[in-house]
Amino acid sequence: MLSPERLALPDYEYLAQRHVLTYMEDAVCQLLENREDISQYGIARFFTEYFNSVCQGTHILFREFSFVQATPHNRVSFLRAFWRCFRTVGKNGDLLTMKEYHCLLQLLCPDFPLELTQKAARIVLMDDAVDCLMSFSDFLFAFQIQFYYSEFLDSVAAIYEDLLSGKNPNTVIVPTSSSGQHRQRPALGEAGMLEGVEASLFYQCLENLCDRHKYSCPPPALVKEALSNVQRLTFYGFLMALSKHHGINQALGALPDKGDLMHDPAMDEELERLVVRSKLHRTPWQHRAKEPGAFGFQRREKQEALERVSSASVPTPYHYRWEPRE
Amino acid sequence: MIPGKYRSVSGRAANNVNCGLHLVIQTSSLPEKNKVRFKKVEFKLNKDTSSFPGRLSQHDLERNYSSRQGDHINLVSSSLSSFPILQRSSEEKILYSDRLSLERQKLTVCPIINGEDHLRLLNFQHNFITRIQNISNLQKLISLDLYDNQIEEISGLSTLRCLRVLLLGKNRIKKISNLENLKSLDVLDLHGNQITKIENINHLCELRVLNLARNFLSHVDNLNGLDSLTELNLRHNQITFVRDVDNLPCLQHLFLSFNNISSFDSVSCLADSSSLSDITFDGNPIAQESWYKHTVLQNMMQLRQLDMKRITEEERRMASVLAKKEEEKKRESHKQSLLKEKKRLTINNVARQWDLQQQRVASIATDEDRKDSDSAQDPCQIDGSTLSAFPEETGPLDSGLNNALQGLSVVDTYLVEVDGDTLSLYGSGALESLDRNWSVQTAGMITTVSFTFIEFDEIVHVLPKLKIKFPNSLHLKFKETNLVMLQQFNALAQLRRIDQLTIDPQGNPVVNFTLWKYYVLFRLSHFSMQKINGTEVTQNDMIMAERLFGILAHVASSELPQYRLISILGDARKKQFRYLLESKGKKPGIINEENNDSKRPVGENTNRATLNYTTREFYNEKLEEIKEKKKFCKTYIEDLVKEATEINMKNEALQKLWPQMFIELVRDAVIEIRNKNSYMKLCLQQITDQK
Repeated sequence: MLSPERLALPDYEYLAQRHVLTYMEDAVCQLLENREDISQYGIARFFTEYFNSVCQGTHILFREFSFVQATPHNRVSFLRAFWRCFRTVGKNGDLLTMKEYHCLLQLLCPDFPLELTQKAARIVLMDDAVDCLMSFSDFLFAFQIQFYYSEFLDSVAAIYEDLLSGKNPNTVIVPTSSSGQHRQRPALGEAGMLEGVEASLFYQCLENLCDRHKYSCPPPALVKEALSNVQRLTFYGFLMALSKHHGINQALGALPDKGDLMHDPAMDEELERLVVRSKLHRTPWQHRAKEPGAFGFQRREKQEALERVSSASVPTPYHYRWEPRE
Repeated sequence: MIPGKYRSVSGRAANNVNCGLHLVIQTSSLPEKNKVRFKKVEFKLNKDTSSFPGRLSQHDLERNYSSRQGDHINLVSSSLSSFPILQRSSEEKILYSDRLSLERQKLTVCPIINGEDHLRLLNFQHNFITRIQNISNLQKLISLDLYDNQIEEISGLSTLRCLRVLLLGKNRIKKISNLENLKSLDVLDLHGNQITKIENINHLCELRVLNLARNFLSHVDNLNGLDSLTELNLRHNQITFVRDVDNLPCLQHLFLSFNNISSFDSVSCLADSSSLSDITFDGNPIAQESWYKHTVLQNMMQLRQLDMKRITEEERRMASVLAKKEEEKKRESHKQSLLKEKKRLTINNVARQWDLQQQRVASIATDEDRKDSDSAQDPCQIDGSTLSAFPEETGPLDSGLNNALQGLSVVDTYLVEVDGDTLSLYGSGALESLDRNWSVQTAGMITTVSFTFIEFDEIVHVLPKLKIKFPNSLHLKFKETNLVMLQQFNALAQLRRIDQLTIDPQGNPVVNFTLWKYYVLFRLSHFSMQKINGTEVTQNDMIMAERLFGILAHVASSELPQYRLISILGDARKKQFRYLLESKGKKPGIINEENNDSKRPVGENTNRATLNYTTREFYNEKLEEIKEKKKFCKTYIEDLVKEATEINMKNEALQKLWPQMFIELVRDAVIEIRNKNSYMKLCLQQITDQK
């Protein structure tokens, strides 16, 4: 707490770097909006709840995109929330289109922009037909890279563009928010015989970029590792490599490793309880249909669920259980 | 060329019996012939002649001949001409001076008849005569009978100005002609010929009976001028329509049996004929129709007999009743078809507008996209492949319908239709109709509500109204409503109950998603829906839905901080309450679920309650509203930060300066107290000064 570099920054910048102000402003804004309701149980409690939820990562649920995107922590929380809520979809083995994933994203964030999802889809599909089906894990990891590092990726795109067209890679490039990826497609033909750009040169530029700019970048060492095996790479090849790299994933800290992506025992138990509860409350007529769902839906049924519902007490990691209003 | 067949007729029964030709033409006792009923024409020229039936059989002839063996007739061939010359004995000439019968004489030509210029009746029945000739000198002829010959053309009659009866039945006549001078004609029998057209009889103003049965007539017209005609026989033709009959002032009997009349319109002139009292239509297609009898009776009140049966009062009454009913039905169906046409046009109009709107939206979308990112396109609308599925039918409309519709303006941009238990709304203007005063009965009967060509976001706003006004609506159908997100289904949660949901793939891209049905089942689980898009919902489906999205619900309920929950739920509840208080007004964007009617324990339902749908515009509006607050918050926090940093700075400055200051303070104090006595004096002094 009392480290010297903390005191090195002027106050305002220090606060800004930690995004404290963002949360403060948001908290006050929320307070203003819900004045009547919050006044019932006190402002102190409100702030407690607010910052607790920030810590737990639930503050971004159903919030507008500008807030979700505002801080790295928010982004991480959002990714984590998306994973937790829709892990079951992935577990079921369904392949969905980009639009459908976007729908799922919108369930959590109503005004999430389509272009981010599209860019993520392009990473998975290597810029091919954007209407192809994608698996949950592929999409999720690509989306993670795209969403968390979106500004970084825009700069990278611009750099790639320049390298392709042979410009000086060391000039400072500050692209506008999304113009980079717009330019890169037609240039591919001009690259000549070899596809993409040389890996080491590319890495150098990236390093410069990371040093220069303040928004979050993947740790350079890990990037180097990702690039170590290839001589040349394309833009999407690079992104794909990033998304598949375990180290970067761990550095981000939002999602578990690919192997563990479908595992969340606590949630699974909770889910089973919900399912059983819903089964018990079926009205009689619904018991008659025995055949599997007539929707033509390819799925794998997990029958072992029923056995696991024994334990009634599941430790919920969150302190605040919502009580029903009535 | 007529071969000169001459025969000696002596001794054979081929002779004509020239006695008492009593021209009684009659009866239906004749089996194979036409059922011609001629009026009895009694032509008693010879008072003491005995009567015998008109057509004699050969046997009779023989019999008669033998009993009246008198002077016989000689048909002598002349070497000069090819025509045989008829000679009668003078006795016969005197006895039967006015009649001559050459029936069944195997004649192929008309013989020359000399010296018989007073003849009034001439009978050539049952011969093989092909041309009417050699009778021009018989200028006193009143009746000429050429029944059953082979005559192909009416000719040779121009001098017979006194002719009253002309019988040309069963010949091969193709055309009515050359009757110009027969102005006194009373009976004209042309049955059994090959006549195709009624013509050249308009001058026969004394004609009373006209028989054109068994010809090739296809229509009846050109009957003007027949001012005395009382009977017209047109049986066994191919007549499809009848005209000009109202120009016949005396016509009483009209026989149209066995023709091709199929509607009363084609014989409509009959209604205007006041003299007509007897008519037959049997054997026509019209007689098979269910409306035949009463239509005829209703249109021809003057009739006394139809199809040879007398018309009773009862029948007349029935006829008028039925005719009125027919009229009603026709008017009704006309109205129905008008309505249907109008409906179709309106729906087409709505569809067209919807397409235009979609294309406009899509083109704006692509413009925006082109501005910032690359080829993001809305694949469903731009390529025109979702143009309305109601192609303009330019098929032939009933002309009457067309004329009527010119008056209707097809500017209607929406359509509301109630059809039994279904309420159909086309076009966004139709949503306002929900405000109308629906009768409780009508509203109660509605179980299905169908929305077409309306934006789903607009429908969302009227769902509360729907809930109140149509409490029994259990089945919702959406077609061309732009359902694109799963989120939109959240809005349906506020209804009381849905049993069936039909989302037509046309115009609703959401159906292309793999998970949409499961999401619907999950979000609307409290409705226990039975069918989605016609497929029954099984328990496995419900479990699947729960499995897929259960965690989402759990997260949405248990992990939200309480103030958020309250704000989301409470906010919506407040606004809904406000809506109920004020009956009209803009509805809020956030719509939520009412738990009152659920049968389930409360805990299970409300864990989904936070999954809401806000229409885009309202969402943006809300964000706009918040901008102000955000700005304020920003400045407020900035002020706070400034204050805090100032205080912090001051604190740090103080920290730095404090040691120094402390030493100074201490030194000052020590210096002060160095001299105890003077310090004591100073203190006391200070105290007294204070007082």
